[in-house]
Amino acid sequence: MNGILIVILAAAVLIGTFGAAISKNPFDKLIYLSMIFAGALPFIIEKGYLDMAIAAAVIVPVTTIITLQAVWRCRE
Amino acid sequence: MLTEIAQIIIAFAVSFILYVTIDVLAGLPKEGGVCGAAAIGEAVEKSGGDIHGGYMLGNIVCSPDASAGTLLAACGVCLFGLWGGLIAAVFVYIGNRICSDKGYAGTAGALVATLVIWGLANAGLIAPQSFIAGMVLAILVIQGISHKYASRLLGKLWRLRA
Amino acid sequence: MIPEITELSLPALICAVAALYSCIRIVLEKNTLRKLPFLNVLTFAVTGIIVLICPTPLGIAAACAYFIGSTLESNAIASTWAKRAEKEKKDAQEKADGEAAQ
Repeated sequence: MNGILIVILAAAVLIGTFGAAISKNPFDKLIYLSMIFAGALPFIIEKGYLDMAIAAAVIVPVTTIITLQAVWRCRE
Repeated sequence: MLTEIAQIIIAFAVSFILYVTIDVLAGLPKEGGVCGAAAIGEAVEKSGGDIHGGYMLGNIVCSPDASAGTLLAACGVCLFGLWGGLIAAVFVYIGNRICSDKGYAGTAGALVATLVIWGLANAGLIAPQSFIAGMVLAILVIQGISHKYASRLLGKLWRLRA
Repeated sequence: MIPEITELSLPALICAVAALYSCIRIVLEKNTLRKLPFLNVLTFAVTGIIVLICPTPLGIAAACAYFIGSTLESNAIASTWAKRAEKEKKDAQEKADGEAAQ
C-alpha cells in the first residue's frame, strides 16, 4: 500500500480512538467506533484476508445494534 | 484516452448529474423514508437549511440509494466488467430491503449507472477507476461541504420537479 | 479484464484525502445527527479505497458488505436517536401535565 494511504488511514484510526475516549455522549462514541473500523478495514483487505474482512464488516454493525439497546436506557 | 485529471472531472460531472437526477425523480426529497431520515432532515432544517433537501440528505445516509448504486456499479465494472455491475445491483437491492426501504431508487440507479459506466469504459473515454474517484467527489460536494447550501440546492431542484 | 492499478494512483489519493477531510469534519461537528452525513462520506471513501487497493473479484463482495453494513449502522443510530428524542419529549409533556393538574 502507498505510504500516504497508510498515514491517512492510521490518522483516521487515531482520531477515532481519541474522540471515543474524550466524548461524553454515548451516540458520539458509537460514531467514533465506526470511524475506527473504517480506518482499520483497509489494512485487513491489503493483506488479502477478504473473508475475514467480510465477516468483520457483517459482525461490527450487528454489535452496534445490540449496543444501541443498552445506550437507549443511558441518560446523559 | 484523455489525461487522468480530465477523466476524473468528466466522471464527477456525469455521476453527479446521474444520481441527483435519479434521486429527485424517485421522490427522495418528499419525506423521510424511515424515522432516522426524518430526524436528520429536521436537524438540517434547524441549522438553516431546507426541509426537503434535509430529507434527501437523511435518505442518502439511512439507506443505499442511487448514490450507493453508482459507486458500487463503478466498483463492479472496475473489477468484473458488465456482470460486476449487475452483481452490485443485486447487493444494493438486498441492502435496501435490510434497511426497510422499497429499493426502487437504488436498484434503478445501479442499473443505469452500470450501463453508462460500461459504455464509457468500452468506448475508451473514461476508465472505471476514475468513476470511483468522481463519485467520491460528488458525494463530498453534497454531504461534506455545507449542509445548509446543499439542502437549499436540493430543495430548489425538488420544487422544480413538483 | 482486471485492470492494472499502480501504487500511487490518483483515484486512491483522492479517496484518501476525502476520508481525512470527513474525519476532521466529524470531530469538529457538535450535533450528533449532523455527524452522520460526514460518516457517510467516510464510508464512500473507504469503499473506494478497498476496491482500488485490492482489485480481485472477491473485492466487490467485500466492498458491498462493508458499505451495506455501515449504512445499516447509521440507520440504527439515527432511528434510535429519533425514537429516544420523541420519548423524552413525551415524558416531559406528561410531567408538565401532571404538575399543571396538581
